[in-house]
Amino acid sequence: MFKTILGAAAALTLGVSSAFAQTFPDRSINMMVAFPAGGSTDIGARIVSSIAEKLIGQPIVVVNKGGAGGQVGWTDLVRQKPDGYNIGFVNLPATNTAYLDPKRQAIFNEKSFTPIINQVLDPGVVWVAASSPYKSLKDIVDAAKAKPGTVRAATTGILSDDHLAILMLEEAAPGVKFRIVHLLGGAAQMKETLGGNVDVSFDNVGSIVKQVKGGQVRALAVMDTERSKFLPDVPTTKEAGFPTVISSSTRGIAGPKGMKPEVVAKLADVFEKAMKDPEHQKKMDEVGLAVKIMKGDEYKKYFEDTHLKAKKYVEWAQKRSEK
Amino acid sequence: MKRGWIVASIAFLALFCVTVWESTSYALLDELGPGPGFFPLWLAVIGAILSALLILETARGPADPPDTALVPDREAMFRVLSVIVMMGVGAALLEWLGWRLTALIVTGALLPALGARSPIAIGLFVLAASFGVFHIFYYLLKVPLPIGTFGI
Amino acid sequence: METFDHLMAGLAAALTLQNLAFALAGCIFGTLVGVLPGVGPSAGTAILIPITFSLDPVGAIIMLSAIYYGAMYGGTITSVLLNVPGEAASVITCIEGYQMARQGRGGAALGIAAIGSFIGGTIAVLALVVVAAPLAALALKFGPPEFFALMLFGLCLVTGLAGRSLIAGVLMTVGGLLISLIGIDPTRGVPRFTWGMPELFDGLGFIPVVMGLFGIGEILSTAEKPYREIVRTNLREILPSKEEWKASMGAIWRGTGIGFFLGLIPGVGSIIPTFMSYILEKRISKHPEKFGTGLIEGVAGPETANNAYANAAMVPLLTLGIPSSPTIAVLMGAFIVNGLTPGPFLFTEKPILVWTIIASFFIGNVILLILNLPLVGLWAKILEIPYQYICVGTVLFCIIGAYSINSSVFDIWVMLGFGIVGYLLRKLDFPLAPAVLGLILGPPLEKSLRTSLEMSAGDFSIFLHRPITVGLLILSVVVLVVSALNLAPSQLREASDD
Repeated sequence: MFKTILGAAAALTLGVSSAFAQTFPDRSINMMVAFPAGGSTDIGARIVSSIAEKLIGQPIVVVNKGGAGGQVGWTDLVRQKPDGYNIGFVNLPATNTAYLDPKRQAIFNEKSFTPIINQVLDPGVVWVAASSPYKSLKDIVDAAKAKPGTVRAATTGILSDDHLAILMLEEAAPGVKFRIVHLLGGAAQMKETLGGNVDVSFDNVGSIVKQVKGGQVRALAVMDTERSKFLPDVPTTKEAGFPTVISSSTRGIAGPKGMKPEVVAKLADVFEKAMKDPEHQKKMDEVGLAVKIMKGDEYKKYFEDTHLKAKKYVEWAQKRSEK
Repeated sequence: MKRGWIVASIAFLALFCVTVWESTSYALLDELGPGPGFFPLWLAVIGAILSALLILETARGPADPPDTALVPDREAMFRVLSVIVMMGVGAALLEWLGWRLTALIVTGALLPALGARSPIAIGLFVLAASFGVFHIFYYLLKVPLPIGTFGI
Repeated sequence: METFDHLMAGLAAALTLQNLAFALAGCIFGTLVGVLPGVGPSAGTAILIPITFSLDPVGAIIMLSAIYYGAMYGGTITSVLLNVPGEAASVITCIEGYQMARQGRGGAALGIAAIGSFIGGTIAVLALVVVAAPLAALALKFGPPEFFALMLFGLCLVTGLAGRSLIAGVLMTVGGLLISLIGIDPTRGVPRFTWGMPELFDGLGFIPVVMGLFGIGEILSTAEKPYREIVRTNLREILPSKEEWKASMGAIWRGTGIGFFLGLIPGVGSIIPTFMSYILEKRISKHPEKFGTGLIEGVAGPETANNAYANAAMVPLLTLGIPSSPTIAVLMGAFIVNGLTPGPFLFTEKPILVWTIIASFFIGNVILLILNLPLVGLWAKILEIPYQYICVGTVLFCIIGAYSINSSVFDIWVMLGFGIVGYLLRKLDFPLAPAVLGLILGPPLEKSLRTSLEMSAGDFSIFLHRPITVGLLILSVVVLVVSALNLAPSQLREASDD
C-alpha cells in the first residue's frame, strides 16, 4: 500500500516535472553577463544568445551586471530562483578565485551553481614582445633561475588565471622566481610589454592572436595539451617540457544550484546547437576564441577540477613573498 | 554662509578622523613600499588638518552680508525634499515593481509636488515616461529596464 | 608620397553615397544615444553594434566611428543644457557650458563645442596621417613611472581650480582622492572601505558620482529656486559673438595640441586632456576669477581637446591594437567582429581599407558639424519647457543612466547620495571641480606608483632613472613653486588687512 503511494507520488512528480520541461520556456530567459557590455564575454554571450533564442522560441535577454571582476553578477545569479529563467555566464577560474579569496567575502562557493554548458576555452599563453631576446619558454625559465626575482612577469590582474599560471610554472621549475607585476587588463599588459616595461607576459590566446599575426609579439608556449588552432606554430607547455603547466580561461553557462535536470538538459541541447552553428563558429574564430563545448557530467567534472586547482594556487599566492 | 562653512568643515573633520581610524586597519607598509593603508591614512590626516585650518580661516574671515540666509522658505524645502524622497522611492521600488509602474508612481507624484498643474500635460508626460520610455529602451535600444514581479 | 595617395584613394572610397549615408546615420543615432544622460558613448556604442552586423565591414566601421563621435557630442548637449554630464569628460563642459546656457548663451556654447571639436578632430586626423607610426612607438615609452609623474603633475595643477579659498580647494581634492580609493586595492587585492559589499569593490563608479554631484545637485537647486534668470535664447545668437570667437580661438589651438599628444599615449583616458585644457585656459587667462561663471574659452578648449584626443586615440588602436579607453575597446571589439584586426599588419595588408576608415573619421567630423549647428537652436529651445517637466524628465533619465551601467540599483543610491552632497556644497559655494580632479587622478596615481615599485622590486630610484619621469617631476615642482609665489602676495595682503 505504502509502496503504491510512493510509486504514485514518484510518477506524479516525474509527470509534473517533465510536463514543466515540455512547457519550458514559456517566457523570456535572462542571461546574465558578469562584465560590462562590449567585453569579450559579452560579445560571445550576445552571439550565442541571438542564435539560441530562435531555436528555443523565446527571447533571451542579455543583462550586463558588471563589477568586482564578476563577483557582483555571480552573487546576483546564485540568488535567483533555479527555474531556468535566470541563467548566466561563469568564467572559470575567475569565478573560483572570487570565492576562494577570503578577503572578498563572497556569498557563493563551488556548490552554488548548476553547470549547464561550456562555450569557450581560451588557453593560457606565455608571450614576449617581438624585440625581446627570449625565443622560447626555456629561455625565460633559465633567465628566471639564473637571477631569481628579476625577470618581470605581467598578469592581467591579481589572482587571475595568468597569476596562477605563473605560480604553476614556478612550481614546475624549482629555483625559478619571477618578479610579478599586476596590471589592469589585457590592454595595459600589451602596452607595457611592447614598451619594454615588463619582460614576459602571461595571458590567454584570444587576447594576443592579432598581435602575433601582426608580428609585434612572439608567443612562446600555449598552456594546453594540444596546440591552438590560432597559433599552430607555437609549442605547448607539454612539448616545452612543462606538462603540469596547464591553464586556461573558460566561459560557460550556469544557473543557481537546484535546477531540474530536465530543464538543464533542454538548455544544454539548445545552446549546443547554437554553438555548433557555423555563424557562431565564424564569429568566435574572428575574435580568436576557441569553442569547446562541454555539457552534462563532463562540464560538472571540469567545474570541480578547476575548483581544486584554483584552491591550491590561490592559497600559495597568499603566502608567497615578493622579494 | 559663514556658519554653513563652519558646519561643513566640522563635518569634514569628523569624516576625515573616522577615515584615519579606518585606514589603520589596513597594512601601512608592505614588502614593496606603501601598503593599502598608506595613502588613505595620510590623505585623511592632511584632510583633517585642512578642515581644522578651514574652520579657523572662516571664523576669522569677514561676517556674512545680511541677505544670504541658508535655509530657504518652506515651500522650497518641500520641493527639494520631494525630489529626494521620490528618487529614493524610485530606487527602492524599481526592481520590485519594474520600470513602468515605478516611473508611473514617481512622475505622477513628483510633477504635482513641484507645482505642475495641467492634468493633460501631466498625464501625457507620465505615460511617455513610463510606458513610452520602456518601449524605446527595451525594444529599440535593447537596454533591459527591469520588469517587476507583476510582469510589467 | 604614397601615404597621400592612399589617403586620397581612401577619401574617394569614403565619399560613396552609401558610406556617406552610413556616416550620417551613425552620427544621428550616436547623438541621440549620447543625449540620454548616463548612457555614455561606451554603452551607446555597444548597444548599437548589432545594427552594424548586417553591413559590410567598411560600412559597419564607418557607422560605428560616427556613432562614437555622435555620442560624445550628445554628451556635450546634455552637459550644456541640463548640467548633467553625459559621460566622464563632459563634466568640464557642465562647469562652464551650463552657466553659459543659463545666461542665454547656450546656443553659443553648443556652437563653439561643435566647431572646436571639428577643428580639433580634423587637425588630429591630419596629424595622424603624417605621424602615426613613429609617434606611436614613442608613446609606448610611457610606462607606470611616467604615468605616475604625469598624474602628479596634473594634481599640482589643482591650485588653478581653487577659486575663493585655496584651503577649500585642496580639501576638496583630498576628499576626491580619498573617495577614489574606495574599492579593492589594485596591487594587493585588499578591499578598502567596502564593508563587505561587492558593489563597492570597483569603487563608487565615476559616472554615478559625477551625475549625482552635477546633475542631481543641479536638479535639487532648481527645485529649490525655480524661477531664476532663464533668458530666452535668441535664434540669431546661436553662433558665438565676435568677442567670444576671439577668446575661443586660442583655446581651440591649445586644446588641439593637448588632446592630440595625450591621445597618442595609450591609456590616458579622455578626462585628463579635457581637464588639462580647462586648467591651462584658466591659468593663462587674463581674468581667471571669471571661470565658473560661463566663459566660452572654458568650453572651447576642453571640448576641442576631447575630440582631438578621441581622434588621436585611434593611433594606438590602429597601429598597435591597444585601446585607450573602454569606449575605444568596444570599438576595437566591433572592428574585430567585423573582420578587421588592428595592428601594423592592417596598414600594410589593406592600406586602402585603413585610409578609407581614417578618411571617414574626417567625414564624420564634418557631418557632425553640419548636422548639429542648425539643430543647436532646437536643442536650446529645450530650456524653455516649464521647469517641472525638465526636472522630472532629467531625474528619470539620470536614474536610467545610473541603473543601466551595471543593471544595479546600488548605483542609483550612490547617485542620489552624491546629489544631496552636491546640492549642499553648491549652496555653500564650495568648489566642486577639484573634487572631481581628485576622483579621477586617485586610482591611476596610486596604481602607477605601486606598479612601478612592483617593476623595480621596491626600489624608489626607478623614478630617477627615466628621463620622461624626471622631466615631469621637475615640472610638477615648478608648478608648485610658481603657485606658491603667486599666492604669497595675496596672503601678505590679507595679513596686512587685519
